Amino acid sequence: MNQKIPYKSMPPKRVRHKKITDRHNGKEQIYYEIRKVLSGTRSRMAFLLLALVLGITLYFALGVEYVNEAGESERGPAAVASLRAAQKAWSGYLEEETIRQVIAENRRINETPEGRSEQIKESNIAYGWKQGIAEIRSLLNCSYAEAFRTYDYYRADSLTEEAAGAFYENRTRLLQEWLADEAGDQYLEAEKVYLIGKYESLETPFYYDYRKGWTQLFTFAPTVVMITMLFLGYLVAGIFSNEFVWRADAVFFASCHGRDRAVAAKVWAGVGIVTAVYWMVMLIYSAAVLGYLGADGWNCPVQTEQGDWKCFYHLTVWQKYVLIAAGGYVGCLFMAGLCMLVSARVRSAVPAVMVPFVLIFLPSFLGNLESAAVNKILGLLPDRLLQVGTALGYFDLYTLGGRVMGAVPILLVLYGIGAAAVLPVVYWCFVRS
Amino acid sequence: MKLEIENLTKKFQDVAAVDGVSCTLTTGVYGLLGVNGAGKTTLMRMLCTLLKPTEGRILWDGKDIFELDGAYRRVLGYLPQDFGFYPDFTVRDYLRYISSIKGLRPVAARQRTALLLQQVGLEKAENKKMKKLSGGMKRRVGIAQAMLNDPRILILDEPTAGLDPNERIRFRNLISELAQDRLVLLSTHIVSDIEYIANEILLMKDGKICIAGTTEELTAGMPEQVWRVSVPRNEAASYTKRYKVSNIKTLHGEAQLRILSVERPADNAVLEEAVLEDVFLHYFGERAGGGEE
Repeated sequence: MNQKIPYKSMPPKRVRHKKITDRHNGKEQIYYEIRKVLSGTRSRMAFLLLALVLGITLYFALGVEYVNEAGESERGPAAVASLRAAQKAWSGYLEEETIRQVIAENRRINETPEGRSEQIKESNIAYGWKQGIAEIRSLLNCSYAEAFRTYDYYRADSLTEEAAGAFYENRTRLLQEWLADEAGDQYLEAEKVYLIGKYESLETPFYYDYRKGWTQLFTFAPTVVMITMLFLGYLVAGIFSNEFVWRADAVFFASCHGRDRAVAAKVWAGVGIVTAVYWMVMLIYSAAVLGYLGADGWNCPVQTEQGDWKCFYHLTVWQKYVLIAAGGYVGCLFMAGLCMLVSARVRSAVPAVMVPFVLIFLPSFLGNLESAAVNKILGLLPDRLLQVGTALGYFDLYTLGGRVMGAVPILLVLYGIGAAAVLPVVYWCFVRS
Repeated sequence: MKLEIENLTKKFQDVAAVDGVSCTLTTGVYGLLGVNGAGKTTLMRMLCTLLKPTEGRILWDGKDIFELDGAYRRVLGYLPQDFGFYPDFTVRDYLRYISSIKGLRPVAARQRTALLLQQVGLEKAENKKMKKLSGGMKRRVGIAQAMLNDPRILILDEPTAGLDPNERIRFRNLISELAQDRLVLLSTHIVSDIEYIANEILLMKDGKICIAGTTEELTAGMPEQVWRVSVPRNEAASYTKRYKVSNIKTLHGEAQLRILSVERPADNAVLEEAVLEDVFLHYFGERAGGGEE
């Protein structure tokens, strides 16, 4: 029989609510989509892991040493302050006279008993005296190198003050020699002219300043950006596929906005997560490194750092930072877009989460092929955006419509458009599910 | 308010899960009865615009529902057979989210959520995570989400699956309460789920609606009669081989059988009144209760 076990008895009544509006819901939907992603225990664990990795990276990035008068290594804020003071003493334009003084100072230290000593402790004391000129000394090693692609740590020790005048000329001369010989068949004539032109038109003398904060920031930035991307890939991989995994797709698609605004909210949630997490990580990382080591040297040309001596882009340090940050963001947005696309298409987070791994690590394997054609392609793969700082040092040139340009601006434009284009495709793909 | 189904067919490769179904549904509770694999879920998924038909069309007040798109789904409430949810959402968050994708204003969503939680008896569980709910509670959340937009069409696919008898009865009563002034289509393979609440029952078999009508019409239209026969226990097996037996009750060495037959199956057979379960047995025979959809 129809046994009656009532619920809290109440007369069935229709609530008079203003039914259905097409407005007011967008933000709420995005909010809930983000909550879907972030509310799980696994997501929280992933955040903890990201924080841990960021912490470890910061430990190494901030681990700057200063060798004191006794030849002992120091760490910590006092060491940073000492190093900063030592290098600040040499700040200014690297004119011929400054180069001469650096060469002389280097030689003077080398000729002291400590400089000539084979004892580690004595050598350390001598090294401590050189810390103020250490960065400029590295530039001397680059400038006066035997060839364009060689680096001899002791080259500066064999220089005399008379050589100071050739400091900037050497940079261009070595490039010309390299292009005429070793790299002769790697570049078109127009590309060679472009590179030499870039070298010759670089404004000299360079302004030099203590810039350890930026150097450390740039050194570890690719690690931070790549780790962030892998983490973001994990987060956004489930935005679309989890509807199917949780079997919530039927209710979702049968709802009023299940094939329009609710799908758009998913896409925007993905963009929002990428944007918020990426810039949060970059902000924490940059603020920690620059706050601790200092932001001095922001207006120096990038070529004042040994690693960027050969860089053909005319950039100051802060401009390089902007490029690294912007490139990382565009790269993350593009890769996250691909993650979401795979997630929406195959209805599984597993292949989606693999996308950034493949995009980041596959080029490393292909790079071993050492083929000029392959390198041309590799230079334009999206992993380069996650390491713009490194990409700025590569001599990847492309001729488009008779105009020669480096890879970095192409990467930014190409994947900026790519990121903007992949999002509507994700939307379209899921709407048609 | 009229939902017209015209020659609706859905084929998966060469197999027709729904085969040329035509019917018209208006206000009231419709019970869609059929064994697992009869095509009930496929039909319902088409009615919810989740599947596109291979042939035929579905009209809501004369307009194709796939062309109406969001406007049709605006008046639709759906509880799928395999009701999925977001495990880390609380009940309230889940309902608020579904409200938003159903297009309710935040204020209306809050009011509606509170009312429905009360109606389904889950006010105290509103802050519980969905993954912590019992099967019955999840189903109640399922019906609440389907009702959020106060739908004119409510489609419930096997809503009582996996519920214990008490929950089934509660659920049935709840659906009865909610059914006023709307079209409710409820699929099940359990006769008692719809016997007392459906205004009209559609029997679905092999992708087709084989018969439709009220319980009375269906029982009256059955060509066989229902008999109660008492036989020694050891003879019961021979009767089950020869007749459709809807029930066997053993008592003191004797078996009391409920038999569907045109002719009197035994001299001591007593004529009984047919119920919907007998109709179900008549149409589905030994397949009743078999296979998964």
